[in-house]
Amino acid sequence: MSNEERFKTLYQKYYRRLVRFYVQAFRFSEEDAEELSQDAFVRFYEALDEYRGDAEWAFFETIARNVAYNKIRAWKTAKRNAKLVDIDDPGFNHDPAAPEGPDYAERQHDALQKKQLRDAIAQLPAGQRECLQLWLQGFKYEEMAKFLRVSVDAVKSRLRDAKRILRERLGRNVSLPEDES
Amino acid sequence: MITKSEMQTANEALMSEERARLGDPPTAEEVLDYTRGVLSPEEEHRVRERLACDPDLLRTLTADFPAEGASPGDPDYLSDHEFAQHWARIRNRVHSRRVVQFWRAAGAIAAALAITFGALLWRAESQLRHERSTPRIAWDQQLLLPDGQRGVGETSPVVTARGESFLLVVPIVATASFDDYRLDIVENSRPLWSSPTLRRGDNEAFEILVPRAFLKRGKYQIVMTGVSGARQERVATYTFHMP
Repeated sequence: MSNEERFKTLYQKYYRRLVRFYVQAFRFSEEDAEELSQDAFVRFYEALDEYRGDAEWAFFETIARNVAYNKIRAWKTAKRNAKLVDIDDPGFNHDPAAPEGPDYAERQHDALQKKQLRDAIAQLPAGQRECLQLWLQGFKYEEMAKFLRVSVDAVKSRLRDAKRILRERLGRNVSLPEDES
Repeated sequence: MITKSEMQTANEALMSEERARLGDPPTAEEVLDYTRGVLSPEEEHRVRERLACDPDLLRTLTADFPAEGASPGDPDYLSDHEFAQHWARIRNRVHSRRVVQFWRAAGAIAAALAITFGALLWRAESQLRHERSTPRIAWDQQLLLPDGQRGVGETSPVVTARGESFLLVVPIVATASFDDYRLDIVENSRPLWSSPTLRRGDNEAFEILVPRAFLKRGKYQIVMTGVSGARQERVATYTFHMP
């Protein structure tokens, strides 16, 4: 089978699934997802001459993930380097005044609690903190295990320890649903 | 009671600080090396730490990738007609990328050549500067007598040039006195070198330090010209041989 035939077969089978993957996993617009999908296939087509393995789909997966990573990374880097608008700048659009919120004492209490929580998480041992942070961001046990390159059991154990330490340190009843993954 | 939502808010603040502290995210190549497990422990730690506080980037590694392709008849399957339309666009993109890659490569080669030649030029200039600023031995000193003033039957002298340079001593024998003089080294009436105008000194002679490599084997003449204002007059010639 020639390179063009291999490419055509793969493209017909996977193009729409790749577009959907980009939309669902990363919340790209349909238009961006189509653009990225074509970009990934173009890179794949260019690399086909050099690729000698059988696992074409695994090879393509790496390229497709890289394309998404580069897109998000570029977007984040641009955001980090974006021009900051001074709050006193006349061109700055002030938001309308916030509606009446909790009273001062309540706000102080919230801020203090947030700081205590932040400090408690920051002081966890690195392995436990990583698991807890990933868990709070909504990652599944399997995803955490894959990223941290440890077993799923190790992830669960670290997470359990992290929650126990937090409860001890905060001295309060921390409601952390145990089985959300 | 502290809820998960409150913990998420606190964690967001912590991750934001972490992102600011750790700087730009790792490159795609670094992430690929991380997933292959080929980074050093320090690099691996850095990549993991940075990605752990950036869920959007981390999801590009962990999100479930479509495992199976669509089959003909499936709505996800692209017909031949649809593929033909896509293929035209893809070919254009491949072509554009190749043009860009070609010019990038050409630019890189041009830059590399410019750097190489620049370095060679700089090296040659440094060497020359070094040679000029370093004392050098004049291996031989040769006193030249003006043509027509040597004894009968005497031939023009042969320079005994053994070393890398030699000193030619050219005495001033002019009857008329000039303010300044100029010396030219000539081969078959073809000037090879000219001095600037020289003021007559106390020792009534000029000395020329000549690198051996400057003159190949043959017969040469030094022509002395007297200069006074606009007046220029050939004063004497000094013939010599290079062995």
